Amino acid sequence: MIELDRVSKRFGPVTAVDDLSLVVRPGHVTGFLGPNGAGKTTTMKIILGLDAPTSGTALVGGRPYGTLVRPLRQVGALLDATALHGGRTAWVHLLSIAQSNGIGRRRVTEVLRLTGMEAVAHRRVSGYSLGMKQRLGIAAAMLGDPPVLMFDEPVNGLDTEGIGWIRVFFKELAAEGRTVLVSSHLMSEMAQTADHLVVIGRGQLLADLSTAELIARSAHHDVLVRSPRAAELAALIAARGATVTPQPDGALAVTGLAAADVGDEAAAHGIAVHALIPRQASLEQAYLDLTGESTDYRGADLASAADPASAADPASAADPASAAEGTPTR
Amino acid sequence: MSHAAASTPPAPAPATAAGRPPSAAERPPSVAVRARDVLACEWTKFRAVRSTYWTLLVAVATPIGFSAFIAFALSSGPAKGPAPDPLLPGLLSLEYAVLAVSVLPVLTFSSEFSTGLIRTTFAAIPRRRVVLAAKAAVTGAVTLAAGEVVAFVSFFATQAVLHSHHQGVSLSHPGVPGAVLADGILLCVCALLGVALGAIIRHTAGGIAAAIAVIVLPSLTVVLPVPWNDRIGRFTLLEAARQVTALHPGTTSFAPAISLLVLLAWPAAALLAAALLITRRDT
Repeated sequence: MIELDRVSKRFGPVTAVDDLSLVVRPGHVTGFLGPNGAGKTTTMKIILGLDAPTSGTALVGGRPYGTLVRPLRQVGALLDATALHGGRTAWVHLLSIAQSNGIGRRRVTEVLRLTGMEAVAHRRVSGYSLGMKQRLGIAAAMLGDPPVLMFDEPVNGLDTEGIGWIRVFFKELAAEGRTVLVSSHLMSEMAQTADHLVVIGRGQLLADLSTAELIARSAHHDVLVRSPRAAELAALIAARGATVTPQPDGALAVTGLAAADVGDEAAAHGIAVHALIPRQASLEQAYLDLTGESTDYRGADLASAADPASAADPASAADPASAAEGTPTR
Repeated sequence: MSHAAASTPPAPAPATAAGRPPSAAERPPSVAVRARDVLACEWTKFRAVRSTYWTLLVAVATPIGFSAFIAFALSSGPAKGPAPDPLLPGLLSLEYAVLAVSVLPVLTFSSEFSTGLIRTTFAAIPRRRVVLAAKAAVTGAVTLAAGEVVAFVSFFATQAVLHSHHQGVSLSHPGVPGAVLADGILLCVCALLGVALGAIIRHTAGGIAAAIAVIVLPSLTVVLPVPWNDRIGRFTLLEAARQVTALHPGTTSFAPAISLLVLLAWPAAALLAAALLITRRDT
């Protein structure tokens, strides 16, 4: 369990973490979300005793991190996978960390196997890909077999197969009753891994809720229809009590009628349908709605349409609301 | 190809902590055990890097060769005034080794700060002064051993050259063993200073520059007008080292015992400053 009680951290005039209180519970993968610069890493560093909070307290398992004896047996953390000495091998890197906490060589071998790194264990880390460094960082976090684990952006640099592996891995860790806190700036990533979400922006807590709650909160779904006889179809659908919103590109957004019923209605009147897309408001959109006011750095309107995460998702890509919200906040 | 192996890990099976009783039940290890653990960690890091061996090779080989060369130069030069101190070549050559040895200790901290590895280190060992002590102990022990090897080998090489010019002394001569032993301390003193400066400055280039500046620049006090050159100069690290290691110490400076304290005060002060700063700063 990780407990933050009114933690603030100021760097000169900049407030990185602002009166943040939260409890990260065991048995869940908790996604720690926020735009770049929201204070995720700083918060994790405060939990690990690396940064001193300006005010407030951070406890791990009920104790301040600095008072832990052999802390790696209590907390495992991956902050920055590239924080390595290039001249050392994975084996030496892990061995030195293990030795500092009285952890044996056998465990070093175990975590190398656990992360699929045995084959490269005796190569210098300067030759590793980012994905391999991430695995090495996860191996280091697992050395003490700790009940609390924290990972800062662990998915960066992993290939598709690695991402799949890491999701299952985190879920297993949580299923074993461990506390797992995983940060990311990508909602789409967290939606598939985390069952609880903590969202921060500009150092402030924006939301602390289960993934299911966030989905429910963002539940607005509709059906996108394209037809050469859109106007006729719109009238027919509206006659059945559904709401039809013509889209700028000529398509129709239908709410209140299922996709199958829209299709049947068109078929019954011999109207060709070129596209029939049930759309669900994505978590990505719900996340953007939450953090929209708190993004420190944002591009012009185009940027949100070009965002690969939302482009992959028909709902948010087609939703002009995300672009409309792209007004700079400063 | 080993890449293939890295990208196909086995199914996740981290099930070792499941249902484990809280580790508060474990008896906390004794201070001695924890100290041994941290020393083992730092020793592993120290010996696993190639630059360690290159630096030590330079630090050992250069002064040994250099001392014989200086001895030859001193003894074969035109004789004017009293014969030079027979132990001077050994020390002068060590002063060159100091430059090589200044780099390695600075890196023990600065390389971790510049890569971010220091966060891993401090997360594993939250008592940061313990980290400072362990790095100082490992680096200090290795450089002390290297320094003594250099001091004694240089001594024998130097005296072999000087003997042929009838200027040498033997190890059994009164005062010689102590002076040669003291010679060997110089590398260690500078190494500890480097460890401390690495922890204070946290950048490799800055740390090395500072180490060399602190060790060498104060020697410029020799250009001050008499008697201030000696009055201030006797507090400098290298001048103190010369007093401690000379067979016939100069009379314008401190006695060798006081000079030894001056010599040791430099790394002590730097380590103290590092110990004060290391717990106060965010990483």
